[in-house]
Amino acid sequence: MKKSVKIALGALILLGLTGLGIGLYLYNKQDKNLQKAEPDFVITSVDLQKAFEDDEAVALTKYVNKIIEVTGTVESIKGVEGNIASVVLKTGSGLSSVICTLSSQSDPVELVSGNEVTIRGECSGFLMDVLLNNCTIIK
Amino acid sequence: MKRVTVILLCLGLVLTANAQKYMTRNGYIGFFSGTPIEDIKADNNQVASVIDISTGEIVFQVLIKSFKFAKALMEEHFNENYLESEKFPKSTFKGKITNLAAVDFSKPGQYEVIVEGDLNIHDVTNKVSVMGSIEVIPGGINANSKFNVVPEDYKIKIPAIVRENIAKIIEVTVAIRYSPVDNK
Repeated sequence: MKKSVKIALGALILLGLTGLGIGLYLYNKQDKNLQKAEPDFVITSVDLQKAFEDDEAVALTKYVNKIIEVTGTVESIKGVEGNIASVVLKTGSGLSSVICTLSSQSDPVELVSGNEVTIRGECSGFLMDVLLNNCTIIK
Repeated sequence: MKRVTVILLCLGLVLTANAQKYMTRNGYIGFFSGTPIEDIKADNNQVASVIDISTGEIVFQVLIKSFKFAKALMEEHFNENYLESEKFPKSTFKGKITNLAAVDFSKPGQYEVIVEGDLNIHDVTNKVSVMGSIEVIPGGINANSKFNVVPEDYKIKIPAIVRENIAKIIEVTVAIRYSPVDNK
């Protein structure tokens, strides 16, 4: 009798701790590190921008919140206060680009305008440009 | 040949001096909610904005999904439950500097401005008037502002269970570096 109460109590405590652990884990979960994540789409900056320009609604449902690995030519690199930088990739349009905002862990070093680069990021949508966030440079 | 160069140079100078529109596509808007339970901060470095210095008109556009939080769960709640970014992906501001005469765009320096206009968040538009500063720098303009937003004013529903975790008044910070539209 006593033993079974002990077991029940132990199980209850274990359950509580597991719950607490899962809760804390979920609460403190950080953004995905995309260096290790599998991309949902692999595409060039030209094709990605064109998809949004051709049909924004279709492109939004297809790409938003997805992990996109985009390859393109660096148009420019923009530093921002708080040192998060954006890499602007060339597209077929002169006015609209693909802007990749690097994650705070990422370092925008050794990128030169005109060079080709592959960047993985989460698509947040389209304003004047296709916007990728939490980006990391693959090569 | 020499004359052509001189003419071209003059033309170039006139064109630069005449730049009326300035823009950015990687401006910053962040917000902060402070309560005794927890502080929540979000940053958006993908702000698009245009300012027309001849009329004082100023426009901002942001994607709600571009706000990044320290914790993934906060970001999820913000997008899915509070701002409903699937339904209302953008937030915009359209307004005007009301004391444009106080700013000399040809002279580097810092100027205090008042901006009035329509702020649209969560598909609700409110008239707002905020204080800010314009800093004229060589080759660009910096704009900064801090103002408060009340989520209830924009029909943003925050469940009772987390009501104490989120401030009644949210502090918004705007920091933009504009470049002339011509030299992108």
